[in-house]
Amino acid sequence: MANPTATATTHDASASQHHPPHLKHYFVSSEQQFDAAKLGMWLFLITEILLFSGMFVAYTVYRVWYPEVFTIGATELNPWLGGLNTLVLLGSSLTVALAIHAAQTDKRRTLVRYLVITVLLAGVFMVVKYFEYTHKFHLGIFPGAAFSYAEMSQPYVPIFFSIYFVMTGIHGVHVLIGMGVLSWLAWRAHKGHFGSEYYTPVELTGLYWHLVDIIWIFLFPLLYLI
Amino acid sequence: MKAQHGHHVTPKKTLIKVFAVLVVLTIVTALTAQLDLGGLDVPLALAIASTKAGLVVLFFMALKYDNKVNALVFALGVTFVAIFLTFTLFDTAFRGDLGNVGSETISDIERRESMLRDRAAGVPESTEGTASDPSIEGGEE
Repeated sequence: MANPTATATTHDASASQHHPPHLKHYFVSSEQQFDAAKLGMWLFLITEILLFSGMFVAYTVYRVWYPEVFTIGATELNPWLGGLNTLVLLGSSLTVALAIHAAQTDKRRTLVRYLVITVLLAGVFMVVKYFEYTHKFHLGIFPGAAFSYAEMSQPYVPIFFSIYFVMTGIHGVHVLIGMGVLSWLAWRAHKGHFGSEYYTPVELTGLYWHLVDIIWIFLFPLLYLI
Repeated sequence: MKAQHGHHVTPKKTLIKVFAVLVVLTIVTALTAQLDLGGLDVPLALAIASTKAGLVVLFFMALKYDNKVNALVFALGVTFVAIFLTFTLFDTAFRGDLGNVGSETISDIERRESMLRDRAAGVPESTEGTASDPSIEGGEE
């Protein structure tokens, strides 16, 4: 206590060690804050899974009732485009995982690069989806009562396409939201906000993005293949 | 390998291997869908999709190395999806085909049956109405 300057310096050093700028005062440690955020994200992902499960249940109920309709409807979907989009999304999942790896190992430029590649892959997915949708609209395949595709006049076929549009549509909205968040993260990473000390937003967005990928992993065979 | 705060860092090699397996499984599911496996088409496609989803959850989402509480949350979510699906199907899958129901009403069937029974027992046909509920008959055309 004889030297107040030295005491203050020591105090500052310990303060910056235990209270980094990202750490909220109501958490004991960065670790606790990270774990709490991640648990919260998993809970949110459960609500997302349940949102999609409603649509998967609708799919199953109608498939049990009218199995032949799903076989007929699937012939109108292009499995090559669906397969391409599956590979694109799997690739984007990999780049997000690599982005988190880069954040954990303090490679900031690599982090920005992987986040940008992920956004671009998501963009490819949406462009392919755009061509698939416009092709269907061109044929008169619309959701609900607007369905007017004469080639497929079998009863209940419009139900297949309504399910298709709702499931891929809501999935597509999730991809667009992911693109927005990932772009924002890329910008923040570019500004140097993330490193091995703090990368919670990258980690949480990664979890969200993988879930969007998982939904598509199920949508691709269910709608395009079988 | 551990990051500064003890977070698990999944090695790049593992991530790329998992991606390679996912691509292979995508090709497998696309190819097997071309075969005519009869009733096995849907279960096989779902099994492959579930395997892929499992790989993403375990390695990309790192649930394998994560706090067990996150795995518990995920398992609970999946359980409720299974309950949602199963209990809905208990209803919808066993409703039967409504178009398959004959035009004959239950009281008609009962009346016909009692008529046949009476005829077999040698009772004159004029007593045919005794087995039927008059209140049901009253409601009929």
